[in-house]
Amino acid sequence: MRDRTPGGRLFDAVNYAILSAVACVCILPFIYVLAVSFTSPEEVARGGLILFPREWSLAAYEYIFSTGTLTNSLLITVYVTVVGTLINLIFTTTMAYPLSRTRLRGRQGVLLGVLITMLFSGGMIPTYFVVSGLGLTNTLWSLMIPSAISAFNLIVLKNFFQQIPSEVEDSAKIDGCNDVEVFFRIALPLSGPAIATFALFYSVDHWNTFFNAVLYLNDSSKWTIQVYLREIVILAQSNIGDSSRLEEMNIQPLTIRMAVVVFATLPIMLVYPFLQKHFVKGVMLGSVKG
Amino acid sequence: MTAKRWWMGVSAAVLAAGVLAGCARSETGGAGEAEDGGPLAVSMALTQVGEIPAKDNAVEKLLEEYTETELDIQWIPQSAYDEKVSVMMASKEMPKIIKLNYVPLVINAIRSGDFWEIGPYLPEYPNLSAQDEQHYKNISVEGKIYGVPLFRDMGRATFNYRKDWLDKLGLDIPTNPDEWYEAQKAFVTGDPDGNGKDDTYGWMLDKQYNTGISALLTRLAVANGSVNKWGIVDGKMTPDFTQPEFFEVLSMFRRMYEEKLINQDFAVLDGSEVGLKFDAGTAGFGNSVAGALKSQHERLTKADPDAVVDNSGFIGPDGIRLAGEPGHNGFLAIPKSSVKTEDELKRILAFLDDMMNEDAANLLVRGIKDVHYADTDDGKTEITDFDAFQLEVKPYRDNLLYVEGYNTKPLKDTPQGEKGTRMAKENLQYAVPNEALTLTSAMYSERGNELETMIGDAMTKYIMGEIDEAGWQKEIENWRKAGGDEVIREFQESYDSIHK
Repeated sequence: MRDRTPGGRLFDAVNYAILSAVACVCILPFIYVLAVSFTSPEEVARGGLILFPREWSLAAYEYIFSTGTLTNSLLITVYVTVVGTLINLIFTTTMAYPLSRTRLRGRQGVLLGVLITMLFSGGMIPTYFVVSGLGLTNTLWSLMIPSAISAFNLIVLKNFFQQIPSEVEDSAKIDGCNDVEVFFRIALPLSGPAIATFALFYSVDHWNTFFNAVLYLNDSSKWTIQVYLREIVILAQSNIGDSSRLEEMNIQPLTIRMAVVVFATLPIMLVYPFLQKHFVKGVMLGSVKG
Repeated sequence: MTAKRWWMGVSAAVLAAGVLAGCARSETGGAGEAEDGGPLAVSMALTQVGEIPAKDNAVEKLLEEYTETELDIQWIPQSAYDEKVSVMMASKEMPKIIKLNYVPLVINAIRSGDFWEIGPYLPEYPNLSAQDEQHYKNISVEGKIYGVPLFRDMGRATFNYRKDWLDKLGLDIPTNPDEWYEAQKAFVTGDPDGNGKDDTYGWMLDKQYNTGISALLTRLAVANGSVNKWGIVDGKMTPDFTQPEFFEVLSMFRRMYEEKLINQDFAVLDGSEVGLKFDAGTAGFGNSVAGALKSQHERLTKADPDAVVDNSGFIGPDGIRLAGEPGHNGFLAIPKSSVKTEDELKRILAFLDDMMNEDAANLLVRGIKDVHYADTDDGKTEITDFDAFQLEVKPYRDNLLYVEGYNTKPLKDTPQGEKGTRMAKENLQYAVPNEALTLTSAMYSERGNELETMIGDAMTKYIMGEIDEAGWQKEIENWRKAGGDEVIREFQESYDSIHK
């Protein structure tokens, strides 16, 4: 396939150069964060760009693990991510599939209802009243139930299910399947890539839960890792518009901030490669006309 | 297919486990009324400071013992404090004591009667009433007091400077815009660090140079004779940027910028960066507060052992004149939705008062004896484990009531530390208050931020030479038309109604 003419080679070379540069721009911040987290505070204080620690130090990691809070919040986040994503997938697929079947009566009405929630939201305080009225405040359910179905994902998944030819469904029925069996044995197995994609979308959302955790959880032992991350990292930069307050706040050294960033990002980065092949397939599907 | 079934079985099991675990986590109800004679149950919502202390840690236990209460503290992250509080206020799900910030949202809730007015009760409580009245005035709403402020010094505006640099260049502490300009020029071109390069600054500005209570521009302008943000000039409410004294300072920075005596990237530079530059020995002047002298000195001498940091109040043609600060770091208010009776209100106030008794005050300011601090031979106290203090005591101290030096043993400190503590008290007499601090203006609540950004951008444009003096005057005109005149009028009315 490769073009062997000089012009083609030049084109390839230029492409490689540009793509490598873009890749570097994407990767360098990660390397910097990782390197700083392993560098001794003294070297960081001296300043400059650190891409490889000259003085290795695990002090930052020792510090963040010295109390159980960070590990605890990580476990909470993992729990919310795993259970929350399962809830998302179960509710989204079981709602999307019936909506994709054109023979369902009242389907347009339900879809309109879904669309309205995409355009108008209740806002922070009414949503809080709903969550609180359902008795969900201060439980981890408050992070999973209100966001069980994303309207956007639901519609995309509905369109995906619609691509499954009704002939397949018909033949399954002739073989004796009822609607539930068609869903579990035909529709779900055929939509692996799409479900993997949404699993990734949903799990990243859960992983990044910050604001809801602050709003709905009063008990700090249930906070997710992003709440801690935000306290430690963001606070140091914004200093709330007032530099004289600095001495009144606990500003963590850069190495510790970076170690927390690494700690909070690592799990999702470890999961990504395993979902990536589905992810590529799932995203590409829409671009191929079937 | 079997593999898929297995997977679904696992996920169903995980989900079931999750359902059970989630249920187990549901919270039992809030703290109830205390029985007579037993400790008073007090629930509080406070700002998170650093790590959240473990429940029932030694400090909290002692505080409960000293005040005869049972505390239930809810910590809220600073980064979402006001949002969380607004939700709590809207849903009336409030603890008995809540730390509030003096922001329009809170003020509106106070005006609609959600909180107890505690002003009339204060005289009954010896510790609460012993504090400077100004602290209370600064959190008042329409002249009435609805909470106990977290007391902070009002006259602590200072700047740190490199004494070794000033001495080397043979300069005195500047006292007017011309002298500031000369000092700045000397710091940039006189090579005070002796490395043969013009790589040092006096002041370095950051993007917050004109916002917030510690804005450098405001502080220098106040020293030069201007009002502190808002003041009464010739009987009329006046914003500072219309004052000639303010314009002088603004023009000084314009000149510095033009001659490249000031960092050219100030409009986008973060405040913490400037702090780092001071610590690294790049800057000679640091906008600061009195109590920060010690830590500045220690940080700088780590990088440069020969460096000498000293501090001074902002001095102007009329001597020291400081931009006074609000004197509080938020305040503790008592919601009517959770404290229903006057009796209970009095008990809660008694708890707040007890917190300033000698044993509790020492606990909050110094920690636990022989754990965080120790007595010295000369009758003072010395912090022995500063890291433990920061981790275990500071979260309580920063959120509860304390006044350094009130019912507490004196602290033995480094000379810089003692100077800082002393100056914060002594300089109170030079503090110029912001007259509009507790005044109300509908226009200001609604568009105050917008108006401030508007005039702040104009200042930056003027310093950077994008507009000339006529342009600056035009920007003030625009500000007036965009709602500024309305704010002035409403502040004036509010001022007149309180100072009849």
